Amino acid sequence: MHQSFRKLLRSFRAGALVSAGALLGLHAQADEDDTVKVGILHSLSGTMAISETSLRDVLLFAIDEINADGGVLGKQIEPIVVDGASDWPLFAEKAKQLLVQDEVAVTFGCWTSVSRKSVLPVFEEYDGLLFYPVQYEGEEQSPNIFYTAEAVNQQAIPAVDFLLEEGRDKFYLIGTDYVYPQTTNLVLLEYLLSKGIPLRNIGGGLRKDADGEVISAGTYTPFGHTDYQQIMADIKKFAASGDAAVINTINGDSNVAFFKEYAAAGLTAEEVPVVSFSLSEDEFRSLPAEDLVGQLGCWTYFMSLDTPENEEFVANFQDWLQTADVDGLERDGRVTCSPMVLSYDGVYLWKKAVEKAGSFDVDKVISALESGISFDGPGGTVTTQENHHLTKNVYIGETLPDGQFEVIESFDDVYGEPFLKGTFSEE
Amino acid sequence: MKSRVTITLITRVFLLVLFGLASDLRADEAQARQILVEAILSSGKEQTALVESLSSTAAPIVPDYLEFWKRGKIYLYQTDPDVDPIPVLEHEAETEGEASTYSRIVDGEIIVDEAGNPLVLDPEKMEMARPGRKTRRVFTMTVDLLALSTPDVSDRADAALKLGLKQDKDILPKLRELSSKETEPLVIEALEEGIAVSMLAHGSKEEQMESIQVLKDRNSIAGLDALKNLRHDINDGYAPYPLTEEEKAELDESIASIESYISVTDFVGTCFRGLSLGAVLLIVALGLAITFGLMGVINMAHGEMIAIGAYAAYISQQIFYTVFSQSTFALETYFLFAIPFSFIVAALCGLVLERTVIQFLYKRPLESLLATWGVSLILQQGFRLVFGAANRQVRSPSWLLGNVEIFDITFGFNRIFVIGFAILIVVGTWLLMSRTPFGLSIRAVMQDPQMAAAMGIRINRVRMMTFAFGSGLAGLAGVFLSQIGSVGSNLGQSYIVDSFMVVVAGGVGNIVGTVISALGIGVTDQALQPLLGPVMGRICVLIAIILFLQWKPGGLFPSKSRNLD
Repeated sequence: MHQSFRKLLRSFRAGALVSAGALLGLHAQADEDDTVKVGILHSLSGTMAISETSLRDVLLFAIDEINADGGVLGKQIEPIVVDGASDWPLFAEKAKQLLVQDEVAVTFGCWTSVSRKSVLPVFEEYDGLLFYPVQYEGEEQSPNIFYTAEAVNQQAIPAVDFLLEEGRDKFYLIGTDYVYPQTTNLVLLEYLLSKGIPLRNIGGGLRKDADGEVISAGTYTPFGHTDYQQIMADIKKFAASGDAAVINTINGDSNVAFFKEYAAAGLTAEEVPVVSFSLSEDEFRSLPAEDLVGQLGCWTYFMSLDTPENEEFVANFQDWLQTADVDGLERDGRVTCSPMVLSYDGVYLWKKAVEKAGSFDVDKVISALESGISFDGPGGTVTTQENHHLTKNVYIGETLPDGQFEVIESFDDVYGEPFLKGTFSEE
Repeated sequence: MKSRVTITLITRVFLLVLFGLASDLRADEAQARQILVEAILSSGKEQTALVESLSSTAAPIVPDYLEFWKRGKIYLYQTDPDVDPIPVLEHEAETEGEASTYSRIVDGEIIVDEAGNPLVLDPEKMEMARPGRKTRRVFTMTVDLLALSTPDVSDRADAALKLGLKQDKDILPKLRELSSKETEPLVIEALEEGIAVSMLAHGSKEEQMESIQVLKDRNSIAGLDALKNLRHDINDGYAPYPLTEEEKAELDESIASIESYISVTDFVGTCFRGLSLGAVLLIVALGLAITFGLMGVINMAHGEMIAIGAYAAYISQQIFYTVFSQSTFALETYFLFAIPFSFIVAALCGLVLERTVIQFLYKRPLESLLATWGVSLILQQGFRLVFGAANRQVRSPSWLLGNVEIFDITFGFNRIFVIGFAILIVVGTWLLMSRTPFGLSIRAVMQDPQMAAAMGIRINRVRMMTFAFGSGLAGLAGVFLSQIGSVGSNLGQSYIVDSFMVVVAGGVGNIVGTVISALGIGVTDQALQPLLGPVMGRICVLIAIILFLQWKPGGLFPSKSRNLD
């Protein structure tokens, strides 16, 4: 009763202010004390724009939802959207601008590991708070970052477990030449060895340093690589004795060339399944989905999840897309995917943490988050952990011709574990 | 895929009618359907056992139904809360908006209402039937075991080899039994290979030695791992029988022999892949060999001409999809239309570029570099505005997707096509240059424009047409690249370096040089890849080209015509 009265009073006041402002010919800006600034730091131009623009959209959607519902601690959220332009040093600059100039309470952003690594020192220096939503290689835990992203044990490890259970015992590792695939594959190599898979059953090649220590496993191709003939011949040879699978950490466009060549080499999903870690529904919009039928994906959310929470989320997001007033917003043919949902979850987790802490103060919010906050998101319940990661469900899906995934396996409440390297010992 | 299924179905029906087995089949099918229904309704171990038992029925419908089940096409239809649900199969409607129809698994009949029309089932009463986790794992085994008795020869051979590679003790007798009855040579071979691999693990010592010999004689790549594993087991002392030194030597020899066979196939395969990469480079560079090589225009927008060709291929696909709706016919034929269409579109764009920018810069190559670079940036942004930032998808017709395998070397149809396509374009260009009056005037204008003009050749027009032709060739490259990767605004950027590399290394102004350097670079790149990996391999090729140009600055065939100095 009391609260709704305050709400009424506030909306009346805001309305009065707006009309007064309009009357005076001023900018219709709400009272400073009535809003809380929140940063959105994604690439809206450049090579990563294709993926990251969707995250901006879903963040704005979440903020609109919360604002319509009365905001956070009685304050409306004011999103400050900045463009990292797929330029990593620029990310650091923009992060500093958000923290120092705009004094945002929290920032949601970054996609690539390199952009995260370049803003990390900024957030630590100015004591900011960043929510990072995209699956990553782990081996990092900043006091100022919350990783809603899938850790390696919430994507790669369950996927390998699934393949092992299906009777696969030979694994070919292939990825794009940068930190995420390299690190993930090193962790996977260790994990596979711990599961009793001998080194000779790991395809793609190993590189060792002078002491004989393995420093890299798998084959890597540059961003935008299109010639996969030789690699396919190698995979075919590797898979000739049966029960092999491919672990694919290729990013972006190269996947088109990879899967076209895969089909041309006469390989099939039944014979040699490929599990991809960087292909979600959003990427399928620019991939030949029909060439990928039967291939596997592993994420903490699929658009096809058959739950009331997800149905509501998808429907609301689609409605929002039609009516929202955002520059350059693509309205048609939109899908939802795991990084989007983890961005969305992040906003709500932050809101709950602020409410628990009763303050926007970064340190108080972080300790509230560390104490364990749960949110029933579209992909199931997520809970923050003390180590700044999330406990969440993990799903394995098989690709359908329409670019959606059919869930064929799920693991509930998987604890996020960032530091895996060195934790598996060989049998 | 679909057509293949139909063909096997037709063969099956034909064979059955031929041998008068139709009534047997009906009995088999009824039994299989009954087991399927029970399996779908049960769970856990019982379900697994029922699916396993399906492998003993001879009904050809079983693999299809297992696939449907796995794909979530089978639903449980609850008519009445007190009665067991009925498993039904969904037949999705072909046209949008129409409702799916359903057939009962137990007899395959479509569910109809009283008037005889297919009944639209209430989605509230449907629940997807999901096979259990353990059950999914026996699916493939069941399907393979069933495939051992299918009439399709290649399916049967595949299944025989796959089951043998499992080295499963229980399957070995079944394979042996089959090999005594089998008459198809292809299947017999597969069975022998499969049995040999299986016996390496489970046979007596004599059988093991015999298997080692068989695998060696067959050059069995599939069996190599099993042989190596046996070798490891012997070293570690896990082998079922101790081998004498002589026998060990025999095993080692078998491994070495297969490995040397693999290295031969690798070599031939690498040559083929190198040729195909060379052909791609050649197609990409040929247009540049004309505009840069012959005309001396440093056209930095050449990559965008390639992208225009690729977008034109995308447009023709969309046109065909609109005109013929999204049919197989449209998919299979649009590509034939896309080839001339892309050539014409890119040539027209080249023509416009020449008239508006390049014609003023023939005497100023450095300025043409800057101007065309600007044009390329404008075009890239233009693509983004028109087609959006996301990449566009061009589908490959099925005749470009398959492959043929000879001696364990895979020849992809798309790669064979690109080699043929490159040969055609090179021959066509050569004929145009050397056998037509137009070619003669091109050569005249390029060698000495003033003299050509004095002889009455309209050099402006010839230059314009030549540039348009070179751009058209870039368009053709675009059509082909759309079949390898996706079409995006940056497509040209990734190939412009390659194109200049090929033309410069071949000797500017020389088409034969372009051909040889493209093939040379392609083969070297593919040969280095397995040794150094794709990244280092590429770097080494680049270094090699730089060193080569230090040694022979003019390229392979230094040009003596209109030069760039």
